Amino acid sequence: MTPDGRIIRVNETMCTWVGMQREHILGKRLHELLTIAGKMFYETHFAPLLRMQHSFLEVALDFVGADGRTLPIIVNAVERLDEHGQPRVIRMALFKMPERRQYERQLVEARKRAESLNSDLNAQVAEARQMAEFREQFIAVLGHDLRNPVAAIDAGANLLLRDGWTARSPMILKLMKASVLRMSGLIDNVMDLARARLGGGIQLRLEPTDRIEETLTQVIEEIRFSHPERAIEASFEVDGEARVDLARIAQMFSNLLANAISHGAKDQPVRVDASVKGGSVEIAVANGGDPIPLAARDRLFQPFYRASGSSTVGLGLGLFIAAEIAAAHGGDLSMTSDTTQTRFVFRMGAAPG
Amino acid sequence: MTHIHRNHIVQRGAGPKAMMFAHGFGCDQNMWRFVAPAFEAQFRTILFDHIGAGRSDLSAYDPARYSTLAGYADDVVEIGRELGIQAGVFVGHSVSAMIGLLASLKAPEMFESFVLVGPSARYIDDGDYYGGFSAAQIDELLAALDDNYMGWSAATAPAIIGNPDRPELGEELTNSFCRTDPEIAKAFARVTFTSDNRQDLPKVAARTLVVQTREDIIASERVGAYVNEHIPGSRMVIIDATGHCPNLSAPAEVIAAIESFV
Repeated sequence: MTPDGRIIRVNETMCTWVGMQREHILGKRLHELLTIAGKMFYETHFAPLLRMQHSFLEVALDFVGADGRTLPIIVNAVERLDEHGQPRVIRMALFKMPERRQYERQLVEARKRAESLNSDLNAQVAEARQMAEFREQFIAVLGHDLRNPVAAIDAGANLLLRDGWTARSPMILKLMKASVLRMSGLIDNVMDLARARLGGGIQLRLEPTDRIEETLTQVIEEIRFSHPERAIEASFEVDGEARVDLARIAQMFSNLLANAISHGAKDQPVRVDASVKGGSVEIAVANGGDPIPLAARDRLFQPFYRASGSSTVGLGLGLFIAAEIAAAHGGDLSMTSDTTQTRFVFRMGAAPG
Repeated sequence: MTHIHRNHIVQRGAGPKAMMFAHGFGCDQNMWRFVAPAFEAQFRTILFDHIGAGRSDLSAYDPARYSTLAGYADDVVEIGRELGIQAGVFVGHSVSAMIGLLASLKAPEMFESFVLVGPSARYIDDGDYYGGFSAAQIDELLAALDDNYMGWSAATAPAIIGNPDRPELGEELTNSFCRTDPEIAKAFARVTFTSDNRQDLPKVAARTLVVQTREDIIASERVGAYVNEHIPGSRMVIIDATGHCPNLSAPAEVIAAIESFV
């Protein structure tokens, strides 16, 4: 080839490969025999490097035959200089390599597959590791939370054993009973977790009922009793019955309300809006204060999730179980959070039939 | 971090005025090795590698920033500010011609003259506009790039044999030219060959010279003429050379064209 890529000599083999007469090849520029990608590669990489290095070896270059078929070729090119150091002629040795090209493609494919498998695997390992970490935390928290009521019951039993029945005994028994209640609450949560994770969801006893307002009011009263300093505003719009498991609705609502009390701004009221209409139910619990960080939102409804930096201790199951109860009712639990308020809403449609 | 290291900036010459050389797709600042030295006597010459090419800092590659030519133009502006370039000359090859013009729209005070070597405002034909490539051809090119069997990565670490004509280059040449990260090169090819800067040409206020070769299959004479016609006051010179890289194949002609302009 001339330094500007015009073909001046070509052997018979090359003519056969591209399926052209010698006189048709001679005088052509090399790029005229290349595929579009070949042309671009030749102009942007091959020619510049050959000019700078005076050689370019083992380079894949796609030629195109007279019949339009692509010819995978490997090229060794050398530039010869004249006595002034200017390029005089370019010599190229071409090797046809369809099979090698196939192997190379397979290698590239295999590497791609391996890379994608690897990244899948890494993601799975990271997830499993995180889950394991949450489980360990969960066990630690569960142990911690169970130890306190057990210690309280133990202390109460010791008092009763030592002093016999005294005027203080009923009070001690009441405290012991409260500890038992707390423990059974924790155990219920753990059982719900097991059911949700292993048993295909929380089982409900659905019954048509007009007692949703009454049930929610009762939960509100209980929370008011344990948090007399906090304002809870509630409004109800109830029209007719809905088919729900009342005990589970109470549990879900209690979890949402307790969350709003512990994470909401202390100086702002917690707002409850509930409506029952034509068999569908909507229960919303909203609190003021800082919005939930974006990063935390994805994990919010997953088990063992606990707000970081929060002073309250819990199993991290409240929202998970609330969402499971919502799902078991064929409804959903959604969350919006901004600088004005954080609001959880349970919605379920009327049961079919 | 400064661009000096990030873009592997090399400054030479002592002239009062700055002349910045920008390489195009496929190589690095070595593209200018036969041209830039001719201007060191009158100009402060500035060469750099786009991120992903040559000795640039590959870790500085941000796919979002470099998803359009504007990201590369931002680099040019930042380099110009860092080096205090005022009313300089910008010499851009291939896609860097448009990168330079985009930079001039962001910082008009930086360059008073532009030399565009093998420019194209758009590579793909569009209605009456002739870009030299059909959309299908560019698709084929990009697919071939994705396929990654064409030896695009072979250019990353070219094997060098001892060169009987220039034995002194043996050591220096090994793995020193046109190193490109193959993944970044792919992305750069996509950005380059799908770019459309026709709207930007009439906004260019600086003096402009289009340097065009005969038989450039990447940016043909017609494509260069379009750029020339749409930049107010632009001039065009057709030099006696072929191919897309006259800065390597015909450096004397390129030098003469630039000298007559600046």
